[in-house]
Amino acid sequence: MSDADETLDVAPTTFSPRAFRWQRRRASAADFWSRFRGDRLALLGLIVLLVFIVMAIAAPWISPKEGLSAVDSIDNPTWAPPGRGYPLGTDNLGRSVAAQFVWGSRVSLWVGLSATVLTIAIGAAVGVTAGFFGRWTDATLMRLTDWFLVIPFLPLAIVLASVLDRSLRNVVLVIAITSWPGTARLVRAQVLTVKQRLYVDRARALGANRAHVIRRHILPNVAPLILANLTLAVPISILTETTLAFLGLGDPTRASWGKTLEEAFNAGAISRNAWWYYVPAGAGIVMVVLAFTLVGRAIEEILDPRLREGGA
Amino acid sequence: MKLRRILGAGAIAGLVLIGIPTTPAAAQDDPVTMTIGLLQDMSSPNVTVGYLVPEFEVWNLQYATLTSKAADDFSTIPGLAESWVESNGGLTYTYTLREGLKWSDGEPITADDIAYTINRSRDEEWYNHFSTVENLDAVAIDERTVEITSSVPDPKLPTMDVYIVPKHIYEPISFDDLESYEALDGVASGPYSLTEWRSGQDWTMVKNPNYYGRDNGIDRIVYRVFSNADAMVAALQRGEIDAAHNFNASSVEQLQNDENVTVVAGLQGGFTELALNGMAGGIGDGNPALQNIDVRHAIFYAIDRNVLFDRVALGLGSVGTTLSPSADPSWIPDLGDEGFAYDPERSAALLEGAGYVDSDGDGIRETPDGDPLVLRYIVRSESTDAAPIAEFITGWLEAVGIGTETTVMDDTQLYDAQVGGLYDMFVWGWTPYVDPDPMLSYFTCDQVTYDVEEAGYNDANWCDPAYDELYQQQRVELDSAKRREIVAQMLRLFNTESTYLVLLQDPDLQAYRTDRFEGWLQQPANTGPVLFTNSSPTYENLSVIGAEPPVTDDGATEGTTAPDATTAPDATTVDGDSAATTVAPVPAGEDDGGSNTGVIVGIIVAILVVGGGGFFLAKRRGSADDRE
Repeated sequence: MSDADETLDVAPTTFSPRAFRWQRRRASAADFWSRFRGDRLALLGLIVLLVFIVMAIAAPWISPKEGLSAVDSIDNPTWAPPGRGYPLGTDNLGRSVAAQFVWGSRVSLWVGLSATVLTIAIGAAVGVTAGFFGRWTDATLMRLTDWFLVIPFLPLAIVLASVLDRSLRNVVLVIAITSWPGTARLVRAQVLTVKQRLYVDRARALGANRAHVIRRHILPNVAPLILANLTLAVPISILTETTLAFLGLGDPTRASWGKTLEEAFNAGAISRNAWWYYVPAGAGIVMVVLAFTLVGRAIEEILDPRLREGGA
Repeated sequence: MKLRRILGAGAIAGLVLIGIPTTPAAAQDDPVTMTIGLLQDMSSPNVTVGYLVPEFEVWNLQYATLTSKAADDFSTIPGLAESWVESNGGLTYTYTLREGLKWSDGEPITADDIAYTINRSRDEEWYNHFSTVENLDAVAIDERTVEITSSVPDPKLPTMDVYIVPKHIYEPISFDDLESYEALDGVASGPYSLTEWRSGQDWTMVKNPNYYGRDNGIDRIVYRVFSNADAMVAALQRGEIDAAHNFNASSVEQLQNDENVTVVAGLQGGFTELALNGMAGGIGDGNPALQNIDVRHAIFYAIDRNVLFDRVALGLGSVGTTLSPSADPSWIPDLGDEGFAYDPERSAALLEGAGYVDSDGDGIRETPDGDPLVLRYIVRSESTDAAPIAEFITGWLEAVGIGTETTVMDDTQLYDAQVGGLYDMFVWGWTPYVDPDPMLSYFTCDQVTYDVEEAGYNDANWCDPAYDELYQQQRVELDSAKRREIVAQMLRLFNTESTYLVLLQDPDLQAYRTDRFEGWLQQPANTGPVLFTNSSPTYENLSVIGAEPPVTDDGATEGTTAPDATTAPDATTVDGDSAATTVAPVPAGEDDGGSNTGVIVGIIVAILVVGGGGFFLAKRRGSADDRE
């Protein structure tokens, strides 16, 4: 309702509608950034994220890919602790742990982001459809969602991952298939409230068809929720990828942090006290997950005024 | 048949980490118990259906065989039979049983039990018996005499190593019910009988008082299944278990430094091979390039088995040569310079010669038809060595211009892909019997899978009439020197012609404590393992150190946590003493503090959980009351 009132208030200015829209967007982006900047932890998270993203993109220049190859590491010492020539030491096959760390960030970030986008896409589509159309569409889709919700997440992911071929694409698919129901429920709830607002009724009365209403009124109003959900879902996707890789269900041909942990575990690095083999990967996962959580929480707070301190 | 053993299920179950409670402390006059740790559970103790390595250990202990095998060299020695005579040109053997043999339940063991087992297992084609008894017929002449006749000359005779089952137990079980029989009847002719099996946890074998052989003074043997190799190694070092089977090679160094532990890397013929798809069965979609023997040899020359031995096997076991058909290594002939020593230049030359050239400069050669030479490589998920081996092999193949696509499969998936011919290459392994015949038979044309519904054993998917002819010759050759010569010829032919490259001879990594039991035997002598061997002679040879009242588990634990310096010279006796007196004069060292801390933390956690739960319940009750 408040949105509609605002629009009426500012309507008689001299701007063209398009210029006005852009000005509003710029203003709200600036407002967003000033609020975000005010959250120190979120800023720290953003910096950590940028560092890892730069590392992932620049991997070939930071650490040559040969470092990952067992055959090219035949002359290296095995189980060498960090030191000259091997900044993070070597593993049981003489491969550089530093190279695995740098290249592993690629897989973790890539899977984390793409799985989340897919998750949100499925979840939002189901949520909007169910919420908007209601009746039997809603009932059917929500029963399907419930069905996925009650199946314990990890066993389902393990079963799916073992049935499908082990590839990065399938890991993304498994994560998306197992984690969309939460988003679907959330989006549906939001759609249900948005649908009841007066301006939707007005648009309808003026002859807007369903596609128009969904595109111009429903989606813009659930978008902030989806965005906040997106950043908070990335850590879960990254952790799931790590879990699957640790269980030996990841893509065997790509260095990922989860795979490093699996290999370190299988090679007996833990009983051998070869901490340099597994600590970097573990720390990388923790940092990226934490960074995403911090950023996501801040975004959620800014977009949802109810969560703001003193904003009530 | 003793098939591909399934190892390392621990990798997945590994999430459940350490923290296994010590075995319940034994009371004063408790029986002497020996505990053996392993990673693999039984599939079934039923001798007609089981096929995993642990089951064979159970049967070796529970069922005495007509003839036994010497610990040193597998030679045939008396078992239930004390003597035998040959007649009818080697086709018939007449065995005389020992006097006064009894099953553990008191029933006499007679020639009837033996004839019954042999004839029934042949008629019903029992899984583990059939290859031995296929052509045999047994007749009980009297209580102690049994006559066994083979319809064809059989070089395996007079060895009769099939497990003899008690007729009075098995006769009432029909063929249809046999498969689902639990086999926990506990009726044994060997030194121990299986009485209890808790799937996924442990199984217990108790001493058979009626066993004809030596009494080793051990009343019970418990096999405890661990889900994690590191936890098992830790349990061994703490003295919770007396021996451990199949830990990771990376633990060897740590165990060798423990003065109470002896490590054995025993060979009994098991090997790991790289198998290419020879498409002999004509089904599936193997890359046609692999039917060119030059391409196969190029692949073999590109692989450096010495590096695999050093870096993956950590120098344990030995480098592979050709097919290893027997637990007795002396069957493998010297291959001279036919052994595919690492030679990447030769590999590249062979590929060039066969018309495989990299014409578009992308590092991958093209087939004469212009397609890139890319092979599908299946990596087993159930072996921790499979992934490192794959890292190396794909790297080496890439270096000579052969591309690979790796996929990971568990053993069931891999088996399906293999019998269906839906692969280019995989790495897997076999463990052979003592007699080379079964292993050699797997690579005959008979065993090739032509139809998935009737799968054979030949996973080389290759066969050769010349090999088959030699196989038939050795099969009926009663002169052992001549038979060895034929087998050597087969193995040389297999090495150069087949689709197998045997990468490694795999050791069974075992370790045992030296402070409670002595007399551990390797089978075969010097090179073999001590446990889970072909006929398990170790158990009968063991004795309890000190022979005094049994050591309690508590005592053993404290003994091993004592600082080493004080007990260094004769750790074994100190351990025995500290065990007997329960409260050992152990200085409160750091180690001890550590374990105490663990206990204290555990107690605090328990209090918090219980207390927290109680508080929660109390609160709930409170609020429920409030509502009323």
